[in-house]
Amino acid sequence: MSEKETSPTILQFAPLNSSVDEGFWHSFSSLKLDKLGIDDSPIPITGFYGPCSHPQVSNHLTLLSESLPLDEQSSVASTSHGNRNKCPVPGILYNTNTLESFDKLDKQSLLKAEANKIWDDIQSGKALEDPAVLSRFLVISFADLKKWSFRYWFAFPALVLDPPASLVELKPASEYFSSEEAESVSAACNEWRNSDLTTDVPFFLVSVSSDSKASIRHLKDWEACQGDHHKLLFGFYDPCHLPNNPGWPLRNYLALIRARWSLETVWFFCYRESRGFADLNLSLVGQASVTLASGESAETVPNSVGWELNKGKRVPRSISLANSMDPTRLAVSAVDLNLKLMRWRALPSLDLNVLSSVKCLLLGAGTLGCQVARTLMGWGIRNITFVDYGKVAMSNPVRQSLYTFEDCVGGEFKAVAAVKSLKQIFPAMESSGVVMAIPMPGHPISSQEEDSVLADCKRLSELIESHDAVFLLTDTRESRWLPSLLCANANKIAINAALGFDSYMVMRHGAGPTSLSDDMQNLDMNKTNKQRLGCYFCNDVVAPQDSMTDRTLDQQCTVTRPGLAPIAGALAVELLVGVLQHPLGINAKGDNSSSSNGGNNDDSPLGILPHQIRSSVSQFSQITLLGQASNSCTACSETVISEYRERGNSFLLEAINHPTYLEDLTGLTELKKAANSFNLDWEDDDTDDEDVAVHM
Amino acid sequence: MNSGREVSDGRLTVEGFSVAARAFADKWKIHNQSFPPWSWVPLINRTLHLSNQEEGYLSLEEILILSSLEESPEDESLNVATDCLEKEESVDHTILVQNQENEAHYYDFHIVYSSSYKVPVLYFRGYCSGGQPLSLDVIKKDLPSCSVSLLHESKWTFITQEEHPYLNRPWFKLHPCGTEDWIKLLSQSSISTGCQMPVDLYLVSWFSVVGQVVGLRIPLEMLN
Repeated sequence: MSEKETSPTILQFAPLNSSVDEGFWHSFSSLKLDKLGIDDSPIPITGFYGPCSHPQVSNHLTLLSESLPLDEQSSVASTSHGNRNKCPVPGILYNTNTLESFDKLDKQSLLKAEANKIWDDIQSGKALEDPAVLSRFLVISFADLKKWSFRYWFAFPALVLDPPASLVELKPASEYFSSEEAESVSAACNEWRNSDLTTDVPFFLVSVSSDSKASIRHLKDWEACQGDHHKLLFGFYDPCHLPNNPGWPLRNYLALIRARWSLETVWFFCYRESRGFADLNLSLVGQASVTLASGESAETVPNSVGWELNKGKRVPRSISLANSMDPTRLAVSAVDLNLKLMRWRALPSLDLNVLSSVKCLLLGAGTLGCQVARTLMGWGIRNITFVDYGKVAMSNPVRQSLYTFEDCVGGEFKAVAAVKSLKQIFPAMESSGVVMAIPMPGHPISSQEEDSVLADCKRLSELIESHDAVFLLTDTRESRWLPSLLCANANKIAINAALGFDSYMVMRHGAGPTSLSDDMQNLDMNKTNKQRLGCYFCNDVVAPQDSMTDRTLDQQCTVTRPGLAPIAGALAVELLVGVLQHPLGINAKGDNSSSSNGGNNDDSPLGILPHQIRSSVSQFSQITLLGQASNSCTACSETVISEYRERGNSFLLEAINHPTYLEDLTGLTELKKAANSFNLDWEDDDTDDEDVAVHM
Repeated sequence: MNSGREVSDGRLTVEGFSVAARAFADKWKIHNQSFPPWSWVPLINRTLHLSNQEEGYLSLEEILILSSLEESPEDESLNVATDCLEKEESVDHTILVQNQENEAHYYDFHIVYSSSYKVPVLYFRGYCSGGQPLSLDVIKKDLPSCSVSLLHESKWTFITQEEHPYLNRPWFKLHPCGTEDWIKLLSQSSISTGCQMPVDLYLVSWFSVVGQVVGLRIPLEMLN
């Protein structure tokens, strides 16, 4: 069959495009997880399309959450028939359980099977009763429900006419119809579109009488329309917007027309709208010429084409919905939102970035450790490391909020159980646990143990170096010594919390002694020391009035009123956040609740930043205290730190093995001897360098 | 709580919301024909209510914005062969080869009643023609510049992403915590009958502020 080089040209159809609403994937995921499991039998689905409604953009065949077989869960009324922009079209979904089986699907035969159904509907007359079946479609997919990504491929089976139809002419409908006819056609179309019964019937007949009256009829009325008209056109909802091409649905429409009515000349009407009304400028009228191939029996199914291209390529499409479906990501954005709201509504100058990036080391995972961890999480802090050598005991879960009964029964290490618990609360936590004891001074060790104890010291030192803030939450005084020294040496923020039976103390250590610049070190050492706030051990000498209180706290106290640990732990975290938000950080000076002239109020959005907080729950009283660093401190003084830096391990071993070594080194021994030889009248002694301001 | 025809404290009852919503949708249909009309989506009552109040929300969907090609949607890098249809027959000449067109962005808007804040809330989302959701950065590029500056400067407007109360998926919304306050300001300045605003006008007034943030203006006639 020779092709003429002159017109008419081959009729070219604009492909149909798919659009899958996010809701479809959500509903499909639920269906797969709740009902289908690994069942991969094909699923009947419904697609929706309507006529083009915009001169620059074509419409799509859309899948929505209601495209899937009925779901009882929805709280929104599902779309019923009669929605003008959602003509339902039958389709089928083949979803595979692995990517390999997706790739191996026999696309040709799947397409052929659907095309066969269309051909059968044409032959049997079903297509006349329910013309939407002419636009039957097929989707293959692979839903990865671990990564929440979906790979999919649409096919719009089109029966191929052989030889292809040719286009005799094509023009806007407004140019084809007379103005009277056009008015009548518009009115008839609008009426068709406004009636619930017909609005979702996408193929119809347009009959125009000789007196310019148009009427729209169902396809099955074709015989009845014969002879009755001046013009008879085959109309259809055309999703395509292009001025020179009809849309895809015309393909199977022509196949139907040729097969049922054996017409060689077909006048067709591409119906398009704008603003909800028929637009005859956008709509097209065309004349196609179809060859009735002789010798072809009705049973020969034509070939079919129709796999959708992806940006011009014959590959599937894919979409990742992890951001809106992955529960962990949803949890993260919800928590972030909460913090942002706090900043937006109450504290506009809050720096959330410093909180999300700070690394916290918790020495001790008991009552205090659990409370501190939970409150840190509330502030959006994600990076928490636990150090604890104990196991979860039967009495622990009621007071230590990260543990459950199962942890005791299983004999879990606290450091390990705490990490697990954090992840269960908030999956995006970055948390690790170290099962290790903290070496203590004044507790002599045998020579066999030396190596492992020094290794522990080294490990602790490395942990402190690699974190930004350290919480001292152990249950003995001695176990706080080495961490205090290491924090002072590395100039890391240290927050110390200690419990008595009915009292608690929370404090932040001052900066390390070598944090001062070289210039300042040339000044009188006495003066410069006054700039630093004290640490836990500075109190030994510096606050004699409080020695009774200290002793209570120093004792290994496993019995405390239960309300204290949550309060002290929470305060410890609020204190840390205050330090982090302060422009001077660890060097911020200490405030008291009574200080009225600015103090830190001006610098920190959160209010004052005390040095120490002490409370007695028997009085329900709380006070703030301020203590300067002491020259004779066994943990943070210049003397001790330089000794540690010079002698390293041998210094540590001496401190551990000889109970009085540290006090000798710092001159505390001397001082205590001198103190004992005086009457206790501290007010008059002005050789003291350890001046302290104690505000009540 | 005032269940009558006026609103004096900046807040709405759920019945007031239904009334205000219909009034708003009607006025919109008359005065704002450059846009499609809002439709009311009723909610299936899962609990027994004594009153026959219909709860629902207003929906305006598939608002089209054409954007330039630079922002093409992120397609997962597909490690597939360039042609997956080897057995397909040779190129069919009846299929029009299309050039890449401008990317179309679609927007859906829902006006939903918040029973905890007792004010309406505007939810919205954007997606491309293939259905992929648009991120907030991309959406901001579609907004007119006056909207973007309004977002930055005003302390009343704050876009957050939260779960849509009925569709169980994340949508963007304009956070409602300031609404009560600025509605009170609006009613004080505009209505001459003291500080009260007729329920009919509530959503119209509310939208005259909120709509600007998402680039939806309403003509002045609607405010009468």
